[in-house]
Amino acid sequence: MDVQEATAEGAVSAENGEVKRDGKKQFSMGPQDVLEGKLIYDGSVHADGRLEGEVRVSGNIDVANGANVKALLEGSNVTLKGNVEGMVTARDKLTLGRNARLSGDIQVRRLQIDDGATLNGNVRMGDFEHQASGQ
Amino acid sequence: MSIRRPDSRRPTPTPTTEENGTNNGQRNSVVLGPNDRLVGQLYIEGDLRVAGTVEGQLEATGDIEIAGAGKVKGDVTAYNRLTVGGDASLIAQEVRVARLTVADGATFSGKVSMGKHVARAAVPKPAEERVAPPVDEPVAEPVPVVIEEAKPKAKRR
Repeated sequence: MDVQEATAEGAVSAENGEVKRDGKKQFSMGPQDVLEGKLIYDGSVHADGRLEGEVRVSGNIDVANGANVKALLEGSNVTLKGNVEGMVTARDKLTLGRNARLSGDIQVRRLQIDDGATLNGNVRMGDFEHQASGQ
Repeated sequence: MSIRRPDSRRPTPTPTTEENGTNNGQRNSVVLGPNDRLVGQLYIEGDLRVAGTVEGQLEATGDIEIAGAGKVKGDVTAYNRLTVGGDASLIAQEVRVARLTVADGATFSGKVSMGKHVARAAVPKPAEERVAPPVDEPVAEPVPVVIEEAKPKAKRR
């Protein structure tokens, strides 16, 4: 697969890409946006539209309702409301909202699944052995 | 072939769900309280609520709720919904459910399969267990009695 790396300052237009919130960086996608590749980001990511590849962030990841994600996701708090296919790692908490559909293995410290969410995959809970980290 | 019973012999009522402590025609429901403990397999036609400790396989045709400080170690199959409460814990190899709710704070691990449930044959059907208790009268007891009487005839009537 063709992999491109987007760093904090790169690749994304200012208005859409980087938003300051509480002094922390946020990478924000809209419903029409498409990201293919690998993103390693020091901040949080709001994923919408279509996302394929791999996303590893120091902050939080949230996937909007209606978004389509086929990616490996790793973040502190991960909140899913859309469709996600791929492995998910939440260093703190993973939340599956009522419209979330997740197929993939997950590793979390805390887990919340709301009624209506769909999950197919293996759940591992507990402390983290360092597994193939991209950091 | 039609069978007509004389009025004097009325059919014995078949056991209904009332026997299991549920009220009038509601779904069958079984509760394991905080001090209850189960080791083995359990199949329930109805709902199951676990606030105690379970080691083994659980299967219910309705909902399963692991509530309070309930702890389950073993596979869980709920034809409808599985709820794991915030202080509860479920450590499984396989979790097969139609719907799933996990509260923040819960301990949860295992392979989750969601969607249309296909009943599997792994867990024995409940038929034998239901009949068992009344039949189980002191049939095994006579052994000491025979020794005491020490008669050549096996039984006297």
